[in-house]
Amino acid sequence: MDWSILPFLAAPFVASLILTGIHAYLGVHVVERGVIFVDLSLAQIAALGAILAMLLPFSDGDPHGPGVYWMSLGFTFVGAAIFSFVHGRQARVPQEAIIGIAYAVASALAIVMLSKTTSEAEHLKEMLVGNILGVTWPQALKTALLYSAVGTFHFVCRRKFLAISLDRERAAADGISVRLWDFLFYASFGFVVTSSVAIAGVLLVFCYLIVPSVAAMMYADRIGPRLAIGWTMGTVVSMLGMYLSVVLDLATGATIVCTFGLVLIVMTIARPAFVRIGGHR
Amino acid sequence: MRSIVQVLAAAVFAATAVARPFAAGPKVVTTTEDLAAIVREVGGDRVSVESLARGYQDPHWVEAKPSFILKLNTANLLVAVGRELEIGWLPALITQSRNTRIQPGAPGYLDASGNVKILEIPPGQITRAMGDVHPSGNPHYWLDPDNGRRIAQAIRDKLGELAPGDRAYFAQRYEDFDRRLAEAQKRWDAAMAPFKGAKIVTYHRSWPNFADRFGLNIIGYVEPKPGIPPSTQHTVDLIAEMKRQNVKVILVEPYFDKKTPNAIARDTGAVVLDMLPSVGGVAQASDYIKLFDYDVDLLVATLKKVSGK
Repeated sequence: MDWSILPFLAAPFVASLILTGIHAYLGVHVVERGVIFVDLSLAQIAALGAILAMLLPFSDGDPHGPGVYWMSLGFTFVGAAIFSFVHGRQARVPQEAIIGIAYAVASALAIVMLSKTTSEAEHLKEMLVGNILGVTWPQALKTALLYSAVGTFHFVCRRKFLAISLDRERAAADGISVRLWDFLFYASFGFVVTSSVAIAGVLLVFCYLIVPSVAAMMYADRIGPRLAIGWTMGTVVSMLGMYLSVVLDLATGATIVCTFGLVLIVMTIARPAFVRIGGHR
Repeated sequence: MRSIVQVLAAAVFAATAVARPFAAGPKVVTTTEDLAAIVREVGGDRVSVESLARGYQDPHWVEAKPSFILKLNTANLLVAVGRELEIGWLPALITQSRNTRIQPGAPGYLDASGNVKILEIPPGQITRAMGDVHPSGNPHYWLDPDNGRRIAQAIRDKLGELAPGDRAYFAQRYEDFDRRLAEAQKRWDAAMAPFKGAKIVTYHRSWPNFADRFGLNIIGYVEPKPGIPPSTQHTVDLIAEMKRQNVKVILVEPYFDKKTPNAIARDTGAVVLDMLPSVGGVAQASDYIKLFDYDVDLLVATLKKVSGK
């Protein structure tokens, strides 16, 4: 391995730890709620907002300008509102279906808008999707601050969020305003996902969200141990993925995604041995 | 935080110092293999050159690998196609390379499009109200051999600037390339001459310079807009137009899906051709002149067949 690459991987690696920190936590909620694809859907809705902003005169066509950012954030909140409202107790349509439909329609709308406007748009999608290898120290620092704020908010309100994720009906019966807290959950979640996709790309963010919590579910029932397992797995996979991408000279983001799959398979195969030794479950 | 940054910065400097032994000459990195091939023609063994994208990849979007950053970090010269071709992937890599020599505007950054003939530049003042415009023109300009010559001139001048001692060597290598290119051009022009005005369809807008040079008439594109996948209505319109004008050739770049072109070909009796937009797309097309040899041979053979000439 060529060690001279290390200084360049430092900021991307710190960014991957930040992603692990917040997404492995949010992933526990997302998996418990059974809304696996909500991040892809919100990311697509955010991208739609960004593309629309790019095409309007006020953004000056700057993909990293404030106009584009606020517009995509605004769209994310609209998406969050929709997802929190369609989840009525008597709703006969599964929420996952609404999430899938929102994803498909937002993607298609983006294609339609791009095909009707300036051909400059051919690069637009590429500019909106980040690459973990391109993360700089200021970006990593900014992301760390933003996510600490979101993390603190979730820590302070953890009882309400957890109560709803684990058992909606009981939370509602206990007098928690489920719609409001759902909206707060999806809004903060959308905010995180939008920022994460901009620095790491859709596929990688999806993996950081879902894989650690799924892996943790196989080994633990309680939230605390699950988080510990998820965070450990995310950290190990980030390191291993980056190492493999250097040694094999492969695209870094895609290599980390594949490493997530590989480690999940290994953990699945190893599980019976652990359960026998541990004796629990 | 600051002290961590300082330690890392020191580590970076140490790393660059170790990783940059005094090589024989300037270390050149190019974005595409076409530019690398021309640097090789002019620089000979007095420079080392590497391309980031491979010839079979779509230069609009190249997945960043860790090795790219190391290559850029130690480069003395970065040669880019420019005209926004690499806008989706190169800027972040240049920033990340922490190499002040190759930042845009620095002496070690060469935008190869400076003196070339660029097509499809919208005339006059550009405003947003005009809609479908690409302000800096079509970036696939290297597919005209005359532009290849102009790129070689720019590279000769830039290499001479970076290694003044080798200026005469680069000038002599350029003269040799210029002569061989001119000879080859006579060959290509003669081969293409019978097909002046031949009507073709292309997938992406990669070929306006090629068509302009060899007198081909591009009547439509499989893509409705650059970067937008083929739509039904557009495909139906294109098929009707191809039938009306009796167009029998569709050029497709190797990195695009051939499903739609093949469907169009079935309906119109046209031939789908795997034209190479870049050096290294197949092993045969190993340098700039061989790229045109390959494309011209392929196109002439097909045009002969469909036109019966």
